[in-house]
Amino acid sequence: MKPSNISRRQFALIAGSAGAVPFVMSGAEPLTAESVVRRIQMELGGEWGTAGPDGFKAGDTSTVVKGIATTAMATLDVLKQAVKAKANLVLTYEPTFYGRSDGAPAPTGRGPGGPAADDPVVKAKREFIVKNGLVVYRLRDHWQAKKANETVAAFADALGWSKYRLRSDDALYDIPAATAETTVNAIRGRLNLRAGLRAVGDRKATVRRVLLYPGVMPLDTMWQRYSEVDLVLTGEVREWENTFYAADIFTAGEKRSLVTVGRVVSEEPGMRLCADWLKTVVPLPAQWIGAGDPYWRPV
Amino acid sequence: MTGREVVELIKKNSGVTWNERSFRDTFKAGNPDSQVKGIATTMMTTLDMLKRANEAGLNMVISHEQTYWNDRDDTKDLTLNPLYKAKTEYILKNDMIVWRNHDGLHAMKPDFTVLASLRAVGIKAGDEAVMNAPVYTIPETTLGEFAAQVKRLTGARAFRCVGDPKARISRILLGPGYATPRMRADVDVVIGGEQQEADGGFDNVEYVMDAASLGMAKGVIMLGHVMSEQPGMEDFANWLRGFVHDVPIRLIPNEEPFW
Repeated sequence: MKPSNISRRQFALIAGSAGAVPFVMSGAEPLTAESVVRRIQMELGGEWGTAGPDGFKAGDTSTVVKGIATTAMATLDVLKQAVKAKANLVLTYEPTFYGRSDGAPAPTGRGPGGPAADDPVVKAKREFIVKNGLVVYRLRDHWQAKKANETVAAFADALGWSKYRLRSDDALYDIPAATAETTVNAIRGRLNLRAGLRAVGDRKATVRRVLLYPGVMPLDTMWQRYSEVDLVLTGEVREWENTFYAADIFTAGEKRSLVTVGRVVSEEPGMRLCADWLKTVVPLPAQWIGAGDPYWRPV
Repeated sequence: MTGREVVELIKKNSGVTWNERSFRDTFKAGNPDSQVKGIATTMMTTLDMLKRANEAGLNMVISHEQTYWNDRDDTKDLTLNPLYKAKTEYILKNDMIVWRNHDGLHAMKPDFTVLASLRAVGIKAGDEAVMNAPVYTIPETTLGEFAAQVKRLTGARAFRCVGDPKARISRILLGPGYATPRMRADVDVVIGGEQQEADGGFDNVEYVMDAASLGMAKGVIMLGHVMSEQPGMEDFANWLRGFVHDVPIRLIPNEEPFW
């Protein structure tokens, strides 16, 4: 994903009442991963139980944090980059160990879990984390619950569309009119995409109104909102559901487009925003490291 | 012959104990007791394929996936939806019948969707081609060369690959549609239709990215849901002709939805 700086206005909005002045710890005691996470929890608020995906996934929680890296998905390449950047606490939106159970045995009766503990890839990744003194924390549900609207703004910012938002509480954007093909090419360039981008609909149709939906767009949102806009831009849908709704709308003669860029790619701007937000919460360097578009296609 | 009679013949000839409680394998639209003039098999009952089937005089549609864009073909939230109304009206006006054959088809030996998908990627299989198919060994090649060959053979435009194109691979595990298998130690390349990218039961994408980062030869090829299972619906049409003789039967393919 191509870097693009967050706007000043947006930064001010995000910083809000949390204060433009960074949080100052009392005394000189070093910040551990555990205390950083506690601070994040306090700032985001809400109940932080043990249920749900958020939590420490690897590493020693008493590790003193030198720097924080945020990412949509803590791949091994992202971890390697974090080490190089001297960030030893990694906050990831998606799992680290290849499934929702994320290294823990899957809850019984909830389908198959992730890979076995002795899986060679799992082992190598754990060893890398331990050897480099990394701590990995998954921050998904609580971040999403509090920052959904801001992650839409961050997605728009990554696309260069911030100023086109229609209302601050909705995800509609009126972008400069262009064909779907031109718009898709612009999206591909801004987000540095390879084969992860796929589009359905009329490539010659004029696109002006766009609905942004980072992450996974549910079916009912598709049914309710697709006909409001010229183009829906989201991370991931089920092909056999939303994609064929879009295909049928196309057959029915409505000139709309559905564009998916990949779940993880669409979640990166939100985690970039998270890094900027962290700087207002803890007195530590924080940076976003993107996992990139995983997909390629032979020529 | 009525639509209902065609379905009874399919169940009788399937060689499996049909699961009558499947919410998938039911009539979705039209009158099951209408006379069948011709049968169109397809992956998805899209509006586009309904029109092409009707123009070809094929008024019974046997679809592997759904008609109303959700697995249960639940229409309670769609009653005011213009697209739902237009699609349903088109089916009724043209006296078409739509029946879904999903669970029953996947229970058969071989599972046509698996057998034909293997064939489409260049692997000859037999009756062992079922859900949870065995691992097939092909002559060693690179992931990039294999993916290019698959792209050529299937004609799929929008398929996606993960992994190092230079990785040397030979052991292939394939699943149909959304049943993309999980990567395992004895497999180099997993092939499926589509899969949730992350936060699922087993995330192949991240696993293969990390394996590639470690220099392990692993790859995922996602053909797209239609491109994965559509060849199986042609095999199914051929099989159907073995015992339904009086009406034309053929695949009405879905266009790949992506451009």
